[in-house]
Amino acid sequence: MSSAQLEIQLIACIVAVACAIPGTFLVLRKMAMISDAISHSILPGIVVGFFITQDLNSPLLILLAALTGIITVVLVEYIQKTGLVKEDTAIGLVFPALFSIGVILIAKNANDVHLDVDAVLLGELAFAPFDRLFINGTDVGPKSLWVVGTILLITITLLILFFKELKISTFDKGLAASLGLSPAIIHYGLMSVASVTTVGAFDAVGAILVVALMIAPAAAAYLLTTDLKKMLALAISFGIFSAILGYWVAHWLDASIAGSITTVLGFVFLMVYLFAPLKGIIAVMYREKQQRTEVSLLTFLLHLKNHDEVEERHVNHLNEHINWQKVRAKTVLDLALKNNMILIENNVVSLTKKGNDFTSKAIDYIITNEDAQIEDMKDDFFLFRG
Amino acid sequence: MNNHSVDKETPASTGKIAVKVDDLTVAYNYKPVLWDIDLEIPEGVLMAIVGPNGAGKSTLIKSILGILKPIAGSVSIYGKPYEKQRQLVAYVPQKGSVDWDFPTTALDVVMMGTYGSLGWIKRPGQKEKKASLEALEKVGMLSFKSRQISQLSGGQQQRIFLARALVQNASIYFMDEPFQGVDASTEIAIINILKALRKAGKTVIVVHHDLQTVPEYFDWVTFLNVKKIATGPVKDIFNDDNLTKTYGINYKVSIQE
Ligand SMILES: Nc1ncnc2c1ncn2[C@@H]1O[C@H](COP(=O)(O)OP(=O)(O)OP(=O)(O)O)[C@@H](O)[C@H]1O
Ligand SMILES: [Mg+2]
Repeated sequence: MSSAQLEIQLIACIVAVACAIPGTFLVLRKMAMISDAISHSILPGIVVGFFITQDLNSPLLILLAALTGIITVVLVEYIQKTGLVKEDTAIGLVFPALFSIGVILIAKNANDVHLDVDAVLLGELAFAPFDRLFINGTDVGPKSLWVVGTILLITITLLILFFKELKISTFDKGLAASLGLSPAIIHYGLMSVASVTTVGAFDAVGAILVVALMIAPAAAAYLLTTDLKKMLALAISFGIFSAILGYWVAHWLDASIAGSITTVLGFVFLMVYLFAPLKGIIAVMYREKQQRTEVSLLTFLLHLKNHDEVEERHVNHLNEHINWQKVRAKTVLDLALKNNMILIENNVVSLTKKGNDFTSKAIDYIITNEDAQIEDMKDDFFLFRG
Repeated sequence: MNNHSVDKETPASTGKIAVKVDDLTVAYNYKPVLWDIDLEIPEGVLMAIVGPNGAGKSTLIKSILGILKPIAGSVSIYGKPYEKQRQLVAYVPQKGSVDWDFPTTALDVVMMGTYGSLGWIKRPGQKEKKASLEALEKVGMLSFKSRQISQLSGGQQQRIFLARALVQNASIYFMDEPFQGVDASTEIAIINILKALRKAGKTVIVVHHDLQTVPEYFDWVTFLNVKKIATGPVKDIFNDDNLTKTYGINYKVSIQE
């Protein structure tokens, strides 16, 4: 691995971590869209900053652009407060407006300078190692490494200092306010960090990757854990993993690095979305199916309990009597057998003692409307456990 | 109850005013939802705030606690502005006001009650953890301390909120519908804790919807519907007349003593 390759991966990883931290809180606050808005509406800030400083990495430019990010948030909230539109509509109104101001500014004034919309939105990680920082004539590494490194350091410091405040104001704004831990300060602090991170990283990786790095790892982590610290750690790990894997995919395919990292991020999220053990789609579908089967089983047992007539309990007639399809009837029959709830003699089904007890209890709970008890009952009778 | 830290030179009904609200008007988007409220809550009462949905009960509490900025009027806690008296006040928000899918545990939520006395930046330590475990024990939720909060039932979530207020060890407790969605045994457990708080000289203010239980649970009541209709001892003012004024329908209810 050449040193340029190493530097690119290092920059990508640092950006990934710097994005995952505010991203986690944005996802928890259901504000994922706002990062998209910020990433676009900082354009006028960048343009104005660039006219003043003539340097895409100048701290002043970063501050100006971050300020535009904050303005976006304030405008969105203002429009939302009028009560005329919902938050996502407000976001949709504000950021195209600011973005187009940026585009117009570029078109009017920047024909002769190196600044175009593509560069802002897409960025090119592959070039990052060529723009180097010299201190007293010595090469201390790529400029963007220093920029994103500084931002990461600030972000981590703020996270450690204000973790408790971030947590409480995200979970319960009202309580935070009543305790004097101003949720407004935390809110705008978080928005500032998100803006600064977006601006600081856009030159290296582009705005679209910044948004992907903020949201995808945090959203995936959210599906996997019930602990805020673990969620942060997971989001950071997903970010780093995607950054490195994305880099090598780009290397092998000779594709855009930012594009390939974004693709890996999407893939990671998709995998988690499908296979997360508790909240994943497959797990949820499985649980729903299991619940349907449970309800069917209960219905079936109630039917048996209510009917002494042999013809109502004959295997071949069950289908017509409870109006089930063959497959479903078979699943339920098997389940009941496996749990020793029923007996089949000469193709006639009858309840065992256990089945009878189970059914009586269930009827009791259904009549008294104590649904929760039925859940406990399943444990008592070892349903689904062989 | 948590008697060791109760600083009570004052038994119930000392004549001191715990909470005073003057000419309070609050609006959302310029539409007033509370009009010119004057209210004095004596120290040591267990008070119900009653009124129909949308009457502004939650809004009143939020304005007293500085969560909402009123467009007119003022609030004082023991004679001083709320900002100076935060330590004296604990708050249980309406249960639906938070995201129960938030990745955190029951114990962690209770610990949030200690954040106020910690102030900015300082982290909770062993002392805060111990106090939180005690509060969990009081509400009978100790065995659920490591549960993720979405895996608790509605009544259990309400108990967690109560524990979080208890751990604040305040003098005045504001609770927004603590009985919402809880079963009879939890309701009794909660009301016993509230009565114990009153016994310890605390002032407890509860938004309450079940009119039948007002005389049994509370000694003080405020009727609210955008305006303040009446406030005072339950035995004097809890009658069909005030109920009709508040709820707008004719209240020939069977509210016996
Ligand atoms: N954030 C808000 N923005 C705009 N209007 C609001 C907001 N919160 C409450 N309102 C309005 O203010 C009025 C009072 O609301 P509030 O929540 O205080 O009522 P409440 O008495 O607590 O009702 P409930 O019994 O349903 O809890 C209602 O008409 C409500 O629609
Ligand atoms: Mg309310």
